[in-house]
Amino acid sequence: MDNILSVLVFFPAIAALLGFVVDKKSARVYGISVASVELLLALWLWMSFDSGNAGMQFVELVPLVPDFGINYYLGVDGISLFIVVMAALMTLLGMIGMSIEKDIKNMIISLLFLEMTMIGVFVALDAIVFYLFWELSLVPMLYIIGAWGGPLRVYASIKFFLYTFTGSLIMLVGMLFMAYLYHSISGIWSFSITDWYALVLPVSYQIWLFLAFFVGFAIKVPMFPFHTWLPYAHGQAPTIGSVILAAVLLKMGTYGFVRFSLPLFPDASVMMIMPIAVISIIMIIYTAMVAYAQEDMKQVIAYSSVSHMGVIVLGTFAMNAEGISGSIFLMLSHGIVSGALFMLVGVIYDRRHTKLMSEFGGLASVMPKYAVIFGIMLMASVGLPLTIGFVGEFLVLLGFYKVSMIGTILAGTSIIIGAIYMLSLYKKSFFGPLTNKANEKLLDLNGKELMSLVPLVAIVIWLGVYPKPVLAPIDNSVKALLTFMEEKAQTPEAKERIVVSTTMKEAR
Amino acid sequence: MEKFVYIALFAPLVSSLFAALFGMSPRKTFVGVIASLLLATSFLASAILAAFVYQTGGAIHVTMMEWIGAGDLMIPFGFIVDQVSVTMMTVVTLVSTVVHIYSIGYMDHDKSFNRFFSYLSAFVFSMMVLVMSDNFAGLFIGWEGVGVCSWLLIGFWYHKPDVSPEENPSISPSWAANEAFIVNRIADLGMLIGIFILYWNTGSLQYDVVFAAIPHLSHGILFAAAIALFIGAMGKSAQFPLHTWLTDAMEGPTPVSALIHAATMVTAGVFLVIRANPLYMVTPEVSYFIASLGTFVAFFAASMALVNRDLKRIIAFSTLSQLGYMFAAAGLGAYWIALFHLAAHAFFKALLFLGAGNVMHAMHDELDIFKMGGLKKSMKWTYIYMGVASLALAGIPPLAGFFSKDAIIETAFNEGTLILWIILVVTAGMTAFYSFRQVFLTFEGDERYKAFGIHPHEMYKFVLIAMSPLAILAVIAGFFQGTFHTFIIELLPNYEMSEHTHHYVLLLGAIVLAFAVGGIVLAWVMYGKGLKRNEKLENSFVYKLLKNQYYIPQFYAEFISKPYAMISTMMWKSVDMKIIDTTVDGIANLFYSGGDKTRKMQTGNLSSYLNWMGIGLFVLLFIAAISTVIG
Amino acid sequence: MIGLNHYLILSGLLFAIGLVGVVRRKNLLMLFFATEVMLNAANIAFAATSHYYGDLTGQMFAFFIVAVAASEVAVGLGLLIVLYKKHGSLDLDGLSTMKG
Repeated sequence: MDNILSVLVFFPAIAALLGFVVDKKSARVYGISVASVELLLALWLWMSFDSGNAGMQFVELVPLVPDFGINYYLGVDGISLFIVVMAALMTLLGMIGMSIEKDIKNMIISLLFLEMTMIGVFVALDAIVFYLFWELSLVPMLYIIGAWGGPLRVYASIKFFLYTFTGSLIMLVGMLFMAYLYHSISGIWSFSITDWYALVLPVSYQIWLFLAFFVGFAIKVPMFPFHTWLPYAHGQAPTIGSVILAAVLLKMGTYGFVRFSLPLFPDASVMMIMPIAVISIIMIIYTAMVAYAQEDMKQVIAYSSVSHMGVIVLGTFAMNAEGISGSIFLMLSHGIVSGALFMLVGVIYDRRHTKLMSEFGGLASVMPKYAVIFGIMLMASVGLPLTIGFVGEFLVLLGFYKVSMIGTILAGTSIIIGAIYMLSLYKKSFFGPLTNKANEKLLDLNGKELMSLVPLVAIVIWLGVYPKPVLAPIDNSVKALLTFMEEKAQTPEAKERIVVSTTMKEAR
Repeated sequence: MEKFVYIALFAPLVSSLFAALFGMSPRKTFVGVIASLLLATSFLASAILAAFVYQTGGAIHVTMMEWIGAGDLMIPFGFIVDQVSVTMMTVVTLVSTVVHIYSIGYMDHDKSFNRFFSYLSAFVFSMMVLVMSDNFAGLFIGWEGVGVCSWLLIGFWYHKPDVSPEENPSISPSWAANEAFIVNRIADLGMLIGIFILYWNTGSLQYDVVFAAIPHLSHGILFAAAIALFIGAMGKSAQFPLHTWLTDAMEGPTPVSALIHAATMVTAGVFLVIRANPLYMVTPEVSYFIASLGTFVAFFAASMALVNRDLKRIIAFSTLSQLGYMFAAAGLGAYWIALFHLAAHAFFKALLFLGAGNVMHAMHDELDIFKMGGLKKSMKWTYIYMGVASLALAGIPPLAGFFSKDAIIETAFNEGTLILWIILVVTAGMTAFYSFRQVFLTFEGDERYKAFGIHPHEMYKFVLIAMSPLAILAVIAGFFQGTFHTFIIELLPNYEMSEHTHHYVLLLGAIVLAFAVGGIVLAWVMYGKGLKRNEKLENSFVYKLLKNQYYIPQFYAEFISKPYAMISTMMWKSVDMKIIDTTVDGIANLFYSGGDKTRKMQTGNLSSYLNWMGIGLFVLLFIAAISTVIG
Repeated sequence: MIGLNHYLILSGLLFAIGLVGVVRRKNLLMLFFATEVMLNAANIAFAATSHYYGDLTGQMFAFFIVAVAASEVAVGLGLLIVLYKKHGSLDLDGLSTMKG
């Protein structure tokens, strides 16, 4: 199957179109089967992926607008492969665990469209196609938040849409300018990222372009101080919306940094390390503190997402294989862990219709299974070794140490303050005596919920103990990326900062 | 031999998973029995390994599989069984086995019996990973693993509500558990930084590679790494100022306190310093700092134990104090003595805690020694056990504590650090006093418990038998000092007293012994015949200071926890919601209100449109003219 | 001698008159006339510059404008008649159905 990527991208979309004629009662089963097939396809992609090859694989190229060099151009490498698999997995598990009854058919169709756009973003190698999927992903999400959300859903969804849209427009300007530069230097129009990679730009241009792309990505991540749309979106979104948003949509921003910013503008990226590190560290500490102050369980996890995304961005700008591989691994682990945490909050919300921690307390005695799974995810979230959360966080901090020791210590406080807000959440909700009468008759996890959560627990432990099957292909592609960047970099600082080989300065 | 390594390591894990299978079902005795058997298997395997290492003098090194590989970093799951790790393994598995059997009796009436065994065995597994790992990352796995198990076990009775600190200084088990985890995390950050420093300067995290590279590293780097790693050790071994969590951790079930917060986990910091001895040998200033801090903590903790009324907290302070002794020895370069004291301390301190558990069991979870007394009639064996353990702790010959502690005090003299020596000697006296204050108030004198309607009874027989190995070891472990010395110095640097010290050895021993005996006698005089409360003493400033733990917990609550919560709320409500979000909404509103205002231009009147058009035309012409002039 | 400038000044004046008419007049018919004046101002400018450069393109464009103006008058007057029949007046201030 040479065009597996096209199948992966468009199968959910076509299935979604067919979904309009599916009966309302069977919509859920239909959605789950489509998502399962999609996951199987994604797994098949992983199986046939050659992990020894660091370059793009399963490449497809069909000219769309040949005059302007716009092509339907897809491909995956180690960096994007696992995010694609994770997107398919989280969509499926989110659907299985979903408790929505209202307009279920519309929800399934939106989710399948969303799945198309998510996978499209991560496999697109043409800037225009990338941008297309990037923007399209907003539409189903807008609908999911706006139609199934909480009381403030309209405000939250419009804020989400307009905020991220503004950022991506600036990114689009950057893309157009990039294509213009490519045309004026090489004489041909091209929007394919791999062509752009070859372009060596003057440093002053790099900085402006970097900033244009940065705005788009930073709002999506979301980086401090562009993060305020996220708590609203999470707070109002239905469980499934939060799961997809945290697990996959946020990763578009950090993925963009790795796919665009680093290889296109290596010198500007190196120059921007310090400002970005400062923003990331503020983001890590500040949002973790804000998370501690929250009263709503879901908001704690929403703010913790921002804090963890800060660690991811930090790793991306460590400019060494340890940091970048770690940050990509952390994208996966954060996707799985925060997705699971949002599902878990959804479980209690379905039962109590509240997410306020003050309403709970002592849940561990009435819902032991729930408490166990929540506990495992909590530990993964605070980065306990042998869970998935540790590997990425450790590598990121290790990698960033090469850049700055003080920065690492400050960013490393995330393991402390992360434990503070997570453990206090757990204490407030699960420990202590059962004081609220409404909680006494709560039912533990049912089969549906276990089906969606247990696979995630298994992954959390499996990839925590043996991350190699995922980490090795990532590392391979990251090393290739760094080698490329080092060759492309012009300024001596950039050349020195980008660490590829086994050079250990002190040991020599 | 490899298979014994794996048996020793994985038997506790199997035990934990097995118990976890029944975690949500009601109490099943066989879960405890099987867990204990698996732990005993692990102990046997460790003992066989110990014999092997003793005979061959070599180490067994196995690499199971690769764990993390990224960039140039390669971390395997590798395990090394050498003199140091095998000592730790034997001690850990022995104490764990005893504690497991003990728990079958102690947790008899607890509905979460099965869950308890699952956590306890998981702890042993983490501890084994910690001591057996052949690299710093593996050590860190165990390090965090024991932290989590400690969190689970301290908070084992999670259903208890929070109470005010006046009523119970630990507030609640879940509060104490969180405190322990978070304080340990602070130290873990230090440890991570140490790991990063070593990695970027040596290119590996394997002990052998790192230690081989030490001579090539600059002093500044070694200094930073040594300090950072020691910060990690400070958290786990509860050294000042990260010590408050240990006494609060007494909220956990008593077997947990015996195993985790006395015998094994808290000694992990000492183990780390011993393990990284090549690093600390080349950083004498850090080592000296360790020794000084250890001595300080020994005295500091002992002073708080003098006045405390809580049975378990007294033992916890004494643990803290003994950890200080171990750090003092390690800091002064006597690594093998530190390790020896670690092992001896594990035996008698675990025994002491388990004895305290018996008392609690008998007294229906009453912990105030002022409400006890005269228990020797009903609890003869427990009295003997606790008496033996206290004698060992006080350093009375020929019990284990005498040999190990005396060696440490001698080392302080030998190194010429007389101030440390004096403090350690005084502390030895204090140790004897508070140990026997506790023993006498609990077992001797008038039977104060009767006023509370309690009918104490001795612990189950099998539990008492299970405790006997610890009691025997607490008595005889000291005799193996010589054997241990020859065994361990094949790996650790040798440390012997100089001729000069040898000259005084009897005198030194006599001084220490005099202080110890003096302490016991004083305790007998003050409390032997029953509780006589001295109002004047209890109202004195020093007494209050010690009773309130130098007001350090209050200080932390007032100056760290509360401001943190306050700043967090402020950040959320004022900064995030008011400043940042309002700015964002403000920008959106700017466009919105701008549109709303300009909407009035749309009057529907064609002539006003035409007017606007005319104005627009002139503006455009003007701009065109300007731009021609400019450019 | 009448030169290019004279023509251009005439064209400018005519355009200004037309513009004032467009802006100030309230009667739609008058407005229409005013636009015709502006179009013819442009025509003069085109024809004059065309003559000046000896390039016929300008004059062709002028014819083009004449044609456009003629068709505009045809359609526009038709619309005006319909409008007059409907409202009974061509006063601009009375016609504000497009108010936003």
